[in-house]
Amino acid sequence: MNVITDHLAEFGEGLRLTVVLTLLSLAGALAAGVIVAAMRVSPVRVLRAAGMAYVEVLQNIPLLVWLVLAVFGLPEIGVMAGLFTTAVVVIALYQGAYMAEAIRSGINAVPAGQGEAARALGLTFTQSLRLVILPQALRTVVQPLGNIAIMTLMNTALAAAVGLVELTAAANRVNLAEAQPIWIFVGAGLAYMALSAVFGLVTGTLERKLAILR
Amino acid sequence: MIMVRTSARTRRTAATAIAALSLAGLAACSGGDAAVPGADKGEQDDLLAAAPVASSLPAGSTMEKIKQRGELIVGGSLDAPLLSQQNPATKKVEGLDADFGRLLAKYIIGKPNVKIVNSASETREALLSNGTVDVVLQTYSINPERAKQVAFAGPYYTSGLVIATKKDETGIKAPADLKGKTVIAGANTPAIPAIKKAAPDAKIITFGSDPECVQALKQGRGQAYVQDEAVLLATAKQDPSVRIQGRPFTSDPYGIGLKHGDTQMKRFVNDWLKQIQASGLWAKVWKNSIGTVAEGAAPQPPAIGSAPGSE
Repeated sequence: MNVITDHLAEFGEGLRLTVVLTLLSLAGALAAGVIVAAMRVSPVRVLRAAGMAYVEVLQNIPLLVWLVLAVFGLPEIGVMAGLFTTAVVVIALYQGAYMAEAIRSGINAVPAGQGEAARALGLTFTQSLRLVILPQALRTVVQPLGNIAIMTLMNTALAAAVGLVELTAAANRVNLAEAQPIWIFVGAGLAYMALSAVFGLVTGTLERKLAILR
Repeated sequence: MIMVRTSARTRRTAATAIAALSLAGLAACSGGDAAVPGADKGEQDDLLAAAPVASSLPAGSTMEKIKQRGELIVGGSLDAPLLSQQNPATKKVEGLDADFGRLLAKYIIGKPNVKIVNSASETREALLSNGTVDVVLQTYSINPERAKQVAFAGPYYTSGLVIATKKDETGIKAPADLKGKTVIAGANTPAIPAIKKAAPDAKIITFGSDPECVQALKQGRGQAYVQDEAVLLATAKQDPSVRIQGRPFTSDPYGIGLKHGDTQMKRFVNDWLKQIQASGLWAKVWKNSIGTVAEGAAPQPPAIGSAPGSE
């Protein structure tokens, strides 16, 4: 157990970076998800196609490939951002595709009559989506969004492969110095579990408060 | 599996090459192996011309058997750039270890006749103990564990971690210069603790593989890349935009592996190493191989018998 208490500073710094990475990516992913989901249900054919292409391209290539492409490929065409920024943007866009699909299923769960009524009242497509459909849709998909949040947390570990010293990379480094993999990685695993437990609790509370009983 | 380079084959290649015409006279008098075409190899012929030959060999010794055989059988690599790599055009094996092999052959036999038997890190001890090879010259790190199975002459070279930068970098010459810089290292390599020790406030970023680290260095994600010298030699040779700065700052002593218990040959090889170190030939060998990609003058050769396991 000493290996963990001796290296609390490294673990703490790694944990902090994991949390910041997760929260920023999640915020970005939620924004991207809402926009792409709206595109996918819009009456404009080009937007629907673009939304679908986004989801297919992002989901069908592993996150690690995206990260490596962005970190090593973009500088070759003159786009050079810091490692942290690159990782946040890539994880946000990637998880955004999953968010979009979850939100779209929520939109589909809203009874068609709601949309028809909104249009009958004279709301535009954007207004009816923003004021009538999306609030109900998001409340339906709290649980899947919570799952995606946990998946995002776990996926931040891949940022270790492109040079960010988040929790997994920090554990790796401590292990390199101490060579006690069991305690070190069990410790890191417990930290991840604690974080996802927080996400689970938040999701559960939100769902109890927001769920629409149909 | 065993790849063998015979001197006869080298002679044939040399004879067919156009440039060999100008060196044909030299080939006749230096036993063939040295006469490889190519203007830049002139220095290597100088090396061999200046190389010493033992005045006498003890009767019944391993060295005498090698001399009677007419060639030195070396366990080595054919794929280690600047250390021991076969040139596909000339079939000649080039590099630091290869040159030392030829010089040792000349010292024993009088001619630089070397036969390289491809060995691997798992087979070296066996090849030495069953007599397949006379010596092993293959980035063979001396340590007391290995010294229980083989005898180590040397160390003949001290490798270790080195710093690479982009070609135009001038501010980083030594580990202390890494202070406050962003330094790239391979994930889970000994470079990470070594950088922390040399420059505690350097920011270390790690990538999974060597090509990724090199790419990150070239793209400017860090000012320096710390990696094992043997790995970086290959990189620097392949990619002229990467430069090795300074000398290894950790110590990984390379020894010449000999049959366990052959103290007579160990003393003999150590005497030869001392001779070529004193005469400056050692520095010329370094200049000829590693010195082509590393900045500055040749390092101080390691003291013979200084590494634990080589006493």
